[in-house]
Amino acid sequence: MRRRSAGLLGLGILIVSAAGLGAQPALKPFERGTWQSVLRGHAGRPTLVHFWGVTCGPCKVELPQLGQFAKDHPGIDVVTISADLVPNLPAATQSMLDKAGLSSTENFIFNDGFVERLRFEIDPAWQGDIPRTMLISRDGTITTIEGSAEMGDLEKWTAQQLSTH
Amino acid sequence: MVRIGLLGIVALALLQGAALGQMHSQHASEAACEQPTLRCATKATPAFGLDGTLWLAWMAGGQVSVASSQDAGRSFSTPVQITTKRLNLDWGPDARPKIVVDRKGGIALAFSIFRDEAFNGQVLYTRSADGGKSFAELKPITANNESQRFEALALDQDGTVFAAWLDKRNRVLAKEAGQKYEGAGLFFASSNDGGTSYGKARLAREGTCECCRLGLAFAAPGRPAVIFRNIFEGGVRDHAVMTFTDIATPGEIRRVSNDDWQINACPHHGPSLTVAPSGTYHVAWYTNGKARKGLFYAHSRDEGRTFSEPMALGRPGRNPTRPFVLAGQASTIMVWKEFDGEKTSVQMTISRDDGETWLPPKTISSTTDTSDHPLLISNGRQTYLSWMTKADGYRLTVIEDQP
Repeated sequence: MRRRSAGLLGLGILIVSAAGLGAQPALKPFERGTWQSVLRGHAGRPTLVHFWGVTCGPCKVELPQLGQFAKDHPGIDVVTISADLVPNLPAATQSMLDKAGLSSTENFIFNDGFVERLRFEIDPAWQGDIPRTMLISRDGTITTIEGSAEMGDLEKWTAQQLSTH
Repeated sequence: MVRIGLLGIVALALLQGAALGQMHSQHASEAACEQPTLRCATKATPAFGLDGTLWLAWMAGGQVSVASSQDAGRSFSTPVQITTKRLNLDWGPDARPKIVVDRKGGIALAFSIFRDEAFNGQVLYTRSADGGKSFAELKPITANNESQRFEALALDQDGTVFAAWLDKRNRVLAKEAGQKYEGAGLFFASSNDGGTSYGKARLAREGTCECCRLGLAFAAPGRPAVIFRNIFEGGVRDHAVMTFTDIATPGEIRRVSNDDWQINACPHHGPSLTVAPSGTYHVAWYTNGKARKGLFYAHSRDEGRTFSEPMALGRPGRNPTRPFVLAGQASTIMVWKEFDGEKTSVQMTISRDDGETWLPPKTISSTTDTSDHPLLISNGRQTYLSWMTKADGYRLTVIEDQP
């Protein structure tokens, strides 16, 4: 019953949003194996993967900056992953992404209760601190920025990536 | 064209609706089930009463409940729900209900909720004066409406309940003054009626990390000691200890170690503190600093003025997390979690010389799905591991190999 009403609610929200805004990408569930498919899906393209969460103070400051970054740099694939561990957050997550100008990027939300396993797949040393940004270059090299990223550093990396194209 | 568009929208909505519906039902799957029962709990916190009764407070299905056990956790009394409706409980990794049981059997309890859509927290408390049969109506621990989270409770020898928490009330003042506000304030209050009411909330320290649990213990009667992730100069989030001069007077802060973790983020990974009968402070913490990375242990024999060289805990490739340390009369015990890619285990080590040397760690429990932090609890005779797991339910495991 809960599942059915949640599904109907989701359906209602999406009909409204789809009718009003066209085919806006929805939050995708991030589950076991998703990390590898993200890497495969963006292989060969410079990609910024941003881990964040709605209850994280520094994330609230950084997210709109990232929205501007995505707008300014269409040549960089931007992927966001809500890694907050508080359940039942798709609506709040989507709302913050929308406000930050990140509605049209590829957006995921952690959807596996066994978060240790999800994090281990991404980086065995990661203990869940957010925000966290992973910069994946064309050759697959990953640079991890722990905590809020300096926009200047992102610009520098972007310039390097685009100049080698 | 219109028909195709409509069909497309409906098909998209159906697909996405199904995906979202699935997410709604599965995202909470940190819990085994959605009822308020212990089996469905994600966080469970134990406390022993003086008579040996084990009390357990847990959060499950958006409610907080309490039950007791007379047989070391094998069976529990009928739970008493202290929440009267489903609440938006603080489900962050370092949040959990707190419970202390005084000498007369009075039970003080506190926990956090998210009270608005911006995830501002609020600390609520209650008390049972009839041996856990009923609990008073929930009340906020402070009248202030700015965000509060990560409360901690400790019981003084005379029955005073001391509460500390992280509180963002001063960010409003800072904003008005055009000043930058980082982190949160460490606030405290105490109750001299067993947790029926708390005195005025007071600031102990501004500029602490806002998203990690506190460690709290009494260093001596009337002298609470708190460990917390502080924000040092340059945004360095290393640990500090503060010992109160008396129940109402905060002391100096003293740095536990110079890890140099400069980060503007929520580590979601707070420290642990216990004070041994000898007066030694034993602390364990996580850092990802320039100077060291991982879980560490140190002790101080001078109320935190100086600490021993940090000792690394766990196997680096096994993602050691969530340390907890508890000192008893004869030994000091530490536990933490490790993960091998499939399975989470609880590692345990013992020191019989007040923290100078530690036995090689050994695995004392494991599980194949998500789990709460491992906690230690003692009834004065034996120490137990208290661990809520999704796959295997609640476990209270006696720590063997004690002298």
